[in-house]
Amino acid sequence: MTVLPWFAAAWLFAIGIYGIASSRNLIHLIGCLSVCQSSTYVLLLSVGYRWGAAAPIFYDHPPGTMAVDPVVQALVLTDIVVGATVTALLLAMVLQVGRKYGELDPQKLRPLVARAHR
Amino acid sequence: MNRRWRIALLGLAGICLTPAIWRVATALPRFGEPSEQYGPAVNRLGPALRHVSNMVSAVNFDFRGIDTLGEEFMLLGAITGAVVLLRGARGEDLTAKAARLPGRQVIGRAESTILICRLFSPAIMLFGLYMALHAMVTPGGGFQGGVVIASGLLLTYLGEGYRGWRRLIASPVLAALEGGGALLFALAGLAPMAAGGAFMQNVLPLGTFRDVFSGGLMLVTNAGVGLAVTGGFGMLFLEFLEETRATQSEDTR
Amino acid sequence: MSPALDLIPLAVALPLAIAAALLAASHFLPARLPDIVATLTALTVAGICAVLAVESDRHGVLTYWFGGWTPRPGVVLGIAFGVDPASALIASFAGLLFAATLVFAWGYFDEVRAHFHVIMLLFLAAMVGFCLTRDLFNLFVWFEVMSVAAFALTAYRQEMPSLAGALNFTVTNSLASFMMLGGVGLIYARAGVLDFDALGHAVARTGHDPVITGAFCLLAAALMIKAAILPFHFWLSDAHAVAPSPVSVIFSGIMVGLGLFGLAKLTFQVFAASAEARFLFHGLFMALGAATAVVGALMTRGQRHLKRMLAFSTISHMGIMLIGLAGLSATGVAGFMLYLVGHGLVKGALFMVVGVLLAACSRVDELELAGSGRDLLPAGVAMALAGLLLAGAPWGLLDAGARLVGDAGTSAAGPWIAAAILTGSALTGATVLRAAGRIFLGLGPVPDREEAASPSTEESEQSTRPLWLMMTPIVLLLALALFPGRLAAAAAPALVGRFAPVFAGHLHGFAFEPRSSTLAWVSTAIAVVVATYDLARDRLPRIAVSIIDRVTDLPYRMVNSVHSELVGDYVVWITVGLAAFSVTLAFG
Repeated sequence: MTVLPWFAAAWLFAIGIYGIASSRNLIHLIGCLSVCQSSTYVLLLSVGYRWGAAAPIFYDHPPGTMAVDPVVQALVLTDIVVGATVTALLLAMVLQVGRKYGELDPQKLRPLVARAHR
Repeated sequence: MNRRWRIALLGLAGICLTPAIWRVATALPRFGEPSEQYGPAVNRLGPALRHVSNMVSAVNFDFRGIDTLGEEFMLLGAITGAVVLLRGARGEDLTAKAARLPGRQVIGRAESTILICRLFSPAIMLFGLYMALHAMVTPGGGFQGGVVIASGLLLTYLGEGYRGWRRLIASPVLAALEGGGALLFALAGLAPMAAGGAFMQNVLPLGTFRDVFSGGLMLVTNAGVGLAVTGGFGMLFLEFLEETRATQSEDTR
Repeated sequence: MSPALDLIPLAVALPLAIAAALLAASHFLPARLPDIVATLTALTVAGICAVLAVESDRHGVLTYWFGGWTPRPGVVLGIAFGVDPASALIASFAGLLFAATLVFAWGYFDEVRAHFHVIMLLFLAAMVGFCLTRDLFNLFVWFEVMSVAAFALTAYRQEMPSLAGALNFTVTNSLASFMMLGGVGLIYARAGVLDFDALGHAVARTGHDPVITGAFCLLAAALMIKAAILPFHFWLSDAHAVAPSPVSVIFSGIMVGLGLFGLAKLTFQVFAASAEARFLFHGLFMALGAATAVVGALMTRGQRHLKRMLAFSTISHMGIMLIGLAGLSATGVAGFMLYLVGHGLVKGALFMVVGVLLAACSRVDELELAGSGRDLLPAGVAMALAGLLLAGAPWGLLDAGARLVGDAGTSAAGPWIAAAILTGSALTGATVLRAAGRIFLGLGPVPDREEAASPSTEESEQSTRPLWLMMTPIVLLLALALFPGRLAAAAAPALVGRFAPVFAGHLHGFAFEPRSSTLAWVSTAIAVVVATYDLARDRLPRIAVSIIDRVTDLPYRMVNSVHSELVGDYVVWITVGLAAFSVTLAFG
C-alpha cells in the first residue's frame, strides 16, 4: 500500500501511451490522452495524502486539526477543469476531421500528402 | 512504422523504463506519510491570516492567485479555439444567430424526460450557484459551481428541446459572461496595485471566520472564475449542440 | 519599493486584461481596433520588459511576491517572479516579435473578429510569465497556457491538412504538459516546496536521489518536446506546415526556443547541484543536440513545402542551441541566448517572406513557385540575406551566438561537435539559398528527384495586404538580427552571471572572446557551394551528379522514412527518448 499509488500512476500513464500508439480511432485516442492526464492527478493527490488526516476545510473541525495537503488539491482541481476544455478543443478538431475527410483512423491521417514522383 | 514495429519499440522502451520507475517509486516518501512543508504551513496559517475555512479555495484564489489567473485564461483560450473551429466549419460568422437557420430536425422526447428535466435543471443550477457562493466555507468554488451550472443548462436542452434551449441561451450573453468573468479576475488583481498593494493582494475587509462572505478579495476572484467557467462551458455546449442540426450550406442545397 | 517592481505584474496582467476586454466586447468592436490595440499592447509589454532588464541589471535580481505574500521565516507561502536581465530581455524580445507579427498579420484574420488577437495576447502573456517566474508550478501553468494558445492558433484554418497537423501537435504537446506535471509532482513529493530558491536548496541537501533525478528527467523531456529536440521533434514539422504564416513566425521565432530557455532556467536555478543532471547534459544532451542538428539539416534539404523546410531548419538550429547549453559553461549559456534571439529574428523574417509568397502567389511549394517571385525582389533579397545568416555568415547576433556555442561545444565535447554545428548551419542555409534562387530568380532545373516526392499541399492566404505592410516587419527583424555581435557578446557576462548564480562569482572581468571568423566563412562558403550545386545541377556532367546523389541519397532516405506524420509513431519516439534518459543514467 505504501508504494501502490506511484505504480498505479505509472501504469495509467503507460497504458494511456499504449492506447495512443495503437489507436485506430481518434475519439479513442483522445480518451487515452485523458487517461494519461489522470495519471498525473493520481500522482499529485497521493503525494498530498496523510493517513488519519481530515479534509483541509476547517468548517466542521477546528483549525489546527491534522489535514491533508490543500496545495496539491488546488493544483489538481483547476487542472481538471482546464483539461476538460482542452479535451473539448481536441474533440472539436476531431469532429472537423471526421466531417471533412470521413476518416477517423489516426493511422491514415497525414497532414501533408506525398505527391507522386514526377 | 507499421503497427508491429511500433508496439515492439514501445515494449522495448517500457522494459528499459521499468527499473527506473521502480527506483523512483520505492524512493518516494511512503504513501500517507508525506514530507511537505508548504501544505501544513498553509493549513496552519491560512485560517488566521485570511479568515476562510476552505483552504483549497484559499490556495486557489489567494496564496496562488496568479496560477489560477493563468489557468482561467487557459480555459478562455481553449474555449475560444473550440468555438472558432466549430463556428468557422459551419460557415458562420461568429455573430450569427443559429436559431434563425432552418432545417432543424425535431426529435421526440418522452414526457417523463421533460418532467424530470424541468424539475431538476433549475435545482441543479441552484445547487451550482450554492456551491460557487460557498467557496470559502465548504468544498466548492467558482470552478466546480460553474461547471455544475453549465451542466444544468444541458438538462434544459434535454427537456425543452432545441427551440426552448435556443430561446434561453443567447451566445452574446455567454461570451460576455466568459470575457467579463476573466476581466473581473484580471481587474481584481490589478485594482489592489492602484491602492498601493501588490498584485492581487487581499486588501478588502476579510470578514469573520466560517461566514459565507469571508475572505475579502477572494470573493471577487471567485465570482470572476464562476462567471467565466459558466459562460465558457455554456458556450462550449452551445457550439457542440449546434453540430446536431443541419448547417447553412446543407440547407441551401 | 522601487516603481520598477510594480511593472513586473503588469508585464503579464496587461495583455491578459486586454485580451479579456477584447473577448468580452468582441461583438461590438469596429474592424481595425483589435489589430491596433493588440499591437500597442505587445509593444508596451516589450517596453516594460526592457525597462525591467535595465533595472535588474542595475539593482540585481528583482523579486516580486504576488498577493503580498512575502516569505515568512522558514516558509514560502506565495508565488514570486524573479526578474534577471537575461529573462527580461528574452521576454522583451517576445513582445517585439509579437508586435512585428501582429503588424504582418494586419487584416489577416478578419473572419474571426477579435478572437485571433485574444489568443495572441494570451500567448504573449504566457511567454512573459514563463520567462519571469520563480515558482515551479507557475512555470508549468504558463507552459500549459502557451501550449493551449498554440493549439488554438494552429487549428484556425479548417482544411484537413491543417487539422491533422494540429492534432499531432496537440497530442504530443499535451503529453509534454503531463510529463511536466509529473515532474513537478515528484519534486514536490521530495522537497515539499515549489519556489526555485527553496527547491535549489532542497536539491543541494539531498544526495543522489532517484526522485529528484526522475523529476529532472520528466521536466527535461517535457521541455525538450517543446524545444523540438530529437527524438521529440516530429511534431514541429507538422504544426508548422499547417499553421498560418503569422503563427509560424511565433512558433519558430520564440516558442520553440523558450523550451530550451526553460530547460536552462531549471537547470541553473533548481538542479544546479544535481550531479545526475550534469551527467545527462554532458553526455546524452550533447549527443542529442548534435543528432538533432544533423538530422534536421538532412531533412531540410529534401523538402519542397517551404514551411516544412523552415520547420526542419528550426529543428536543426535548436540542436545547435542545445549543444551550446549542454556544456553547462558560461560561454555556452551566453552563446545560447544570443543564438536564441538571433535565430528567432532570422527565422521569423523567413516565415514572413513565405507569408508574402503565399499572399502574392497563393503557393507554398518551392517547385511550383519557381520563377514566380520575380516581381517580389525585396522579399527575395530578404530571403537570401536570411539564408546567408542561417548559414553562419559572420554578421550579427546569430554569428556571435554560433561562435560562442562552437567554443563551448568544442571545449566540452571535442572538435567533432564543430562538424555537427557546421552541418546544421551550412545545409539549412544552403536550402534557403536554393529556395531563394529558384523562386526569385527562376534558377534551377525541373526537379525529378526526392524533392518531388516529398509532401506538399495546396494553400493560399489572405492577399489583400499591401507588400510594403508585409515587408516592414521583415526589414525590421533582419535589421535587428544584424546588430553587431561584438557589442552583444560584451554585454553577455552581466546577463549570464545574474541568470545562473553558479557562475556569478567567476565572471568578474570575464570577456567572451569568440574565435576568428574562419569557421563562419567556411560554413557560408559551403552553403553557397551546395546551393549552387542544387541550382546548376543540370549543367554539370551527369556522371558527377549521379555519384553525388547516390552518396547523399541514402542518409536522407533513412531519416525521411522515420518521419511518418503519424501521431502513434511520435508517441512511441517520445517513450524511446525517455527510455534513453533512463538507460544513460543507469550507466552513470
